[in-house]
This record gives sequence, C-alpha cells and structure tokens, in this order.
Amino acid sequence: MVKFVEKELLTIQQEIREMWTLVHQQLSDAYASVLSADMGLATKVVSREKRVNAFELKIDSDIEDFIALYNPVAVDLRFALAMLKINNNLERIGDYAKSIARFVIRMELQPLDPELVERLQLPKMYETVLAMLDTTHEALNNRDIAQAKSVFETDETLDTLNQQAIDTLADYATHHPDAIRLCLELTSMFRKLERAGDHINNLAEETVFYIDAEVLKHRRAQRPEPEAE
Amino acid sequence: MSLPIDSSYRRRKLWLQQAVFALFRVLSYAVVAVLFLILGFILFHGAGVIDWTFLTEAPTDGMTSGGIWPAIVGTFWLMVGSALFAFPVGLISGIYMSEYAPDGRLVAFIRTMTNNLAGIPSIVFGLFGMAFFVNYLSFGDSILAGSLTLGLLALPVVIRTTEDAFRDIAPSYREGSLALGATKAQTIWRVLLPMAMPRVITGLILSLGRVSGETAPILFTCAAYFLPKLPESMFDQCMALPYHLYVVATSGTDIEAQMPIAYGTAFVLIVIVLAMNLLANAVRKHFEKKLKSK
Amino acid sequence: MNKIEAKNVDFYYGSFHALKHISLDIPQNEVVAFIGPSGCGKSTFLRLFNRMNDLIPGTRLTGQISIDGTDIYGRSVDVDLLRRDVGMVFQRPNPFPKSIFENVAYGLRVNGVKDRAFIAQRVEEALKGAALWDEVKDKLKESAYALSGGQQQRLCIARAMAVEPSVLLMDEPASALDPISTAKIEELICDLSGRTTVVIVTHSMQQAARVSNKTAFFYLGEMVEYGETKKIFTNPDQEATQNYITGRFG
Repeated sequence: MVKFVEKELLTIQQEIREMWTLVHQQLSDAYASVLSADMGLATKVVSREKRVNAFELKIDSDIEDFIALYNPVAVDLRFALAMLKINNNLERIGDYAKSIARFVIRMELQPLDPELVERLQLPKMYETVLAMLDTTHEALNNRDIAQAKSVFETDETLDTLNQQAIDTLADYATHHPDAIRLCLELTSMFRKLERAGDHINNLAEETVFYIDAEVLKHRRAQRPEPEAE
Repeated sequence: MSLPIDSSYRRRKLWLQQAVFALFRVLSYAVVAVLFLILGFILFHGAGVIDWTFLTEAPTDGMTSGGIWPAIVGTFWLMVGSALFAFPVGLISGIYMSEYAPDGRLVAFIRTMTNNLAGIPSIVFGLFGMAFFVNYLSFGDSILAGSLTLGLLALPVVIRTTEDAFRDIAPSYREGSLALGATKAQTIWRVLLPMAMPRVITGLILSLGRVSGETAPILFTCAAYFLPKLPESMFDQCMALPYHLYVVATSGTDIEAQMPIAYGTAFVLIVIVLAMNLLANAVRKHFEKKLKSK
Repeated sequence: MNKIEAKNVDFYYGSFHALKHISLDIPQNEVVAFIGPSGCGKSTFLRLFNRMNDLIPGTRLTGQISIDGTDIYGRSVDVDLLRRDVGMVFQRPNPFPKSIFENVAYGLRVNGVKDRAFIAQRVEEALKGAALWDEVKDKLKESAYALSGGQQQRLCIARAMAVEPSVLLMDEPASALDPISTAKIEELICDLSGRTTVVIVTHSMQQAARVSNKTAFFYLGEMVEYGETKKIFTNPDQEATQNYITGRFG
C-alpha cells in the first residue's frame, strides 16, 4: 500500500482511538457521578457530550473523504467501513453516558442506599460494560479476533444483570413507595447500560469484520434479541 | 435463425484467395530470379578474370589485359568526395526543412523541387557539372568536379531522408528538451541529431551506392579513358569503374579480349554497390543498438 | 500565496476556441489537478504555463497568465528561463537517447552548468528524489532505454527536478504505466507537494483525488468548477462535475 494512503489510514485510526478514550471517559465519569451523586461531574459529562458529537461528525467526514478520494478496496475498504460504524456506535454509547448524567442532574440525586447498590450489583454492571469497552479496543489495536469474540459472551452477563436489576428494583419499590420514581429511573439506567453493551457488541463485530472479513451480524443464534427501547 | 448462406460461395472465395496469393508469390519470386540471373551472368563471365593482378594493376596493352586498380581508386575517391559534399549540405538542408522552415508553401515548394531534382536524368547532371564546375568554376576535368556532380545527384535523397528522419522523431522529445530550458539549436544538436543519425547515414550510404555506379555525371567532368598512374590531387582526372566498363565494352580495339575485363569490372562494381548496401544496413543496426543499449 | 494566476484566458487553435475565459489561481507548493473528458482543454491550459503551445503554429492567446506576479507572455520574458523554472513531465516517458546520468544532467548542461562535481551531486539528488537512485546507481552509464517504462518516467521526473524548477507540470504522467508504477509516481507527487507547485492533468479521477489538494474540472473548453479536492469529490457545486466524477457522462 502506498505511503500516503497509509498516512490517511493512520489518521483515521488515531481519531477512532481518541474517540474511544473519550467515550470511555464519559461512561466512567457518568458511573462515578451516579455512585458519588456528584452533580458537578454529571454536568461535566453533559457538556463534554458536545465534543463527542462534534468528534463523531469529524471522523465521519474524514472517512467519507477517505472513501471518496482513495477508493479503498479489500482490507482498506473493510477498515473504512468498520471505522465508520465503530464511530457511530461509540457516539451512541456516549449518548447513553450523557443520559445517565442527565438523570443524575434531573433527580438531584442523593447518595444511593448502599444496600440497594449492593443488591443491584451496580458496580458490577458498570465495570462489566467498561471492561467490554476496553477489551474490544484492545482487540482492535492488537487485531485479535479471539479477544473481540470474547466480548460476545460477556454481553450475556449484562442481560442477566439487567433482568435481575428489574426484579430487584420492582421489589425495592414495593417496600419504598417514596423511591418509585428513583427506581423507574434506575431501571431506565440499567436498560441504557444494557443497550450500551449491545453497541459494544457491534464494535466487536465490526472489529472482527475488519480483521477477517467475517460478517457476524444476525448470525449468532445464541445471541438474545435486544429489548425494544 | 441461421443465415441463408450459399455453401459454394465460401469454396469459391477460398479458391480465389489461394489463386491470388499464388500469383503474388510467383511475381515476387520472378523479380528475385531476374536479380539472381543478372548476378549469375556477371559472375559466370566475370569471375574468371578476377585475381590479385586484376585488382591491383593498371590496364595494359591498350586495355586488353592488365587490371582495373586505377578505376577502383578513382571510384573510391569520387565516392569520398561526393559524400563530403552531400552529407553536410544534405544534412543542413534537411534539418532546415524539418526544423526551421515555416510550414507552408515555401517548404512544400522546396520539397517538390528536391523531388524533381531526384528525377532529373543523370546525364543532365553531367552536362551541368561540365558547364558549372569544369568550365565556370574552372575546376577542369577533375575528381573535385566529378565528386560535386555526383554529390548533387545524391543530394535529394540525403535531404529527403534527413528531413524524414527528423520529422519522424516524436514531438515529445523536442518538447522534453525545450521544457528543460534548452534552446532549439541545443535540442537539435544534442537530442534530435543523435536520434536521426542512423537514418541519415543509411540514406547517405545508399545514395552513394547508387551514384557510385553512375557513368553519365562523370563522363564530362572527371573520368579519364585511360590513366596509367593514380590521381595525386583532387584536381586530377581519374578513372572510374562504371566509365571503364562502358569504355572497354564499347570502344575497345579488341572486343574479344576485352569482354572478360568488362565482366570483371562489372562484377567488382556490383560487389562494391552491394557492399555499400550491406554497410548501410550494418551502420543502421549499429546505431540503433547503440541508441537502445548504451 | 498564489504561484500561478490566470486571468480571463482565452486560447484559440486557428479558429477553434479551445479555452474559454478561464481564471484560476494556483497556490504555491500545492498540488492542483485538472480533470475532464478528452478534448476539454485541460492539457492545452497546462501547456500555457511553460509556453509549450508556442511551438504550435496558428495559436492565439488573450488574457494574462502570471507566475510569481510576472506576466509570462510579456515581451521581456526569456522563454528558456521560464521553462527552466517551470518543469514538465509528459504523458509518455521521453528519455533522451543518452545514458541515465546524461539524461538527468541534460537540463543542467543546456543551462550552462559546467562544474562536474556539482552535476554529479545534483544528478544523485534528483535520482534520489525520484526514488530511482537505488535502482540505477550501478548503471548510470547505461542507456536510459534499458529502464522499464515506470523507471523511465521517474527518470523524466528526476530530469525535470534536476534544474530545481519551482513549478512542475505533469501531463497525464501515469497514463502509460502499470498500476505499481503509477502508485510510485503518485507517491512522488505527494513527496513534492509542500516543496514544489505541481499541476497535474489526469484522466484518472482517482488519481486526481489521491494526489491533489485542489481540483479543477474542465468541460468543452470551460472551467466548470475549481475547489478543494475533498469538496469536489464529496459534494461538488456543479451538476456537470458530479456527473463526470460519478461516470455518468464523458
């Protein structure tokens, strides 16, 4: 491959990396703002979302230019298409982080009942999502298909955690009628995390597609249908 | 749907093709056959007299015996002389016509005139040579006058081949040189001339081969009936092979004895002309190889 | 800063109006591509920049073309000096029937450089700049015709660059080459950008897209659109441009 195309590819790769880090930051800050009921941090997440959106547009247009100007084929084409979708999926994950931060602000959230946090397995939920995001990023950087595919299994953990959280919250709400609204918001947050997991799944699928041209979408029969939003 | 083909038509057209090709083949072989007939005839009658003495000694006994050495030397000098004249003049004219002369009527006129020049009977050149070089310029009957006359005869071909050789060079070479800031003269001298040279040289040698066999132009300007000694300067007369052939074959004292000498002379002349043609070929190939590989 | 400025250029071959009222500025040290169907005038326009069209009898130019602010068709302009500063690479590789070394040295020699050490050094630099040095350094004395087509074209680029022109005109420089050689030439063009102003005429839209900063689209002697290459290839203003680059006509 000629040098100057290589240069463009590296630029896009670098941008995707930055986007990835940014979104990861958003999600983990959102998590921190929920745990510590930190209004300031939540506000920061919301305002940083604008940067995520702008960055998404920039990467989109860079990839568009790359495709228009260099007519990539084979691995370069897969790279461009995969990065385009990865970019969009990252932005969606960023959206969820923002929504969660919004919820913190809207509720003027007080520190949560530690017992509830414990029963919800809230940290595990967040940490799983963040770990999936890291694993996929690593898989992409190392072009490691097996690592990318490992994400698919972890995704099921999220589904289970989400199901359990709904039960837990329903139960909690029955006993704490004053917290019904909070519980509803928390179910919504869990669903967002679960959806974020689905998007990370997409990231992993695109990674596999880029590395190996293997189309995984809608093929894995064991994959549970994502819940309608 | 198949085409309504008349099956006999195909047979007929193939047969016709075969017949026409056969005719072509016979005709071309006939031409070659005639050439070999002439060569064989000359060889048959002339080869017998060719020996070392014949090639290296002057005619003796009223040209009924002895050799043709002075005629060989004379022809050689005439060719050298006409080359020295025709080459630079032809080259310069050809370059002018191809590179400098503005396209249009003038060049077209010059080109037509050059072609006409090539069509003028050689005896007319002889006459002109006598009037202009021998008498007007007072060169007398001499190698100089003969060479110039023969050179004039060779000139149209040299001009034509030079012009064609330059014209056939792709414009991108000219442009490539000019685009580097070279002048037109630099371009011609450094790029075009080396590329055109093989064809120019080939044209020159071929035309020299042609004029070396001419009798008429040197008849009044140079050729001597008989000279026992070799020419010493370009103002001397000389003997020449074609004229010698003419003389021994037509105006001798003893035709019987002279005929073998005539055939021998013809043989040497043909060998020289053939050698010139082969040389032209070799030179062209050499230059082409040099252009390609060195 | 603009290197080349063309104002209201009209050009005629005899009575044929080949270029119609073209104005365009070419920024310094950028790569500008001219695209358009055959006969659209893009090559003709390119050849105005080093006055190559002067060689064609019966042509006429109106309007003004200036390089570095000087009208190159002005009366006091020395054409050979202009051409030294505005190099050109042609469609077909046209090395001279000389050795590899002498080909590159040619431009120096015809411009009066006599210093042999300087020439040797500059030839080496130019060949290195054209990414050809490693392939030919052991056979500099051999004929340029012994090289492959792609190598010959890089030799022609080295030859043009040896006299240090500030503008390099390229008239379909890769159209006679195979894809690998084409890629090498394109890489060279990218290397040149930022140091030399490059104007390239190409039939390959992909090539224009890959190598240029700005692109001008010509059609029937008119310049239909001129702008950033990215813009032209993603969202051109003119429908004609869009139709051409998408292959819908031409």
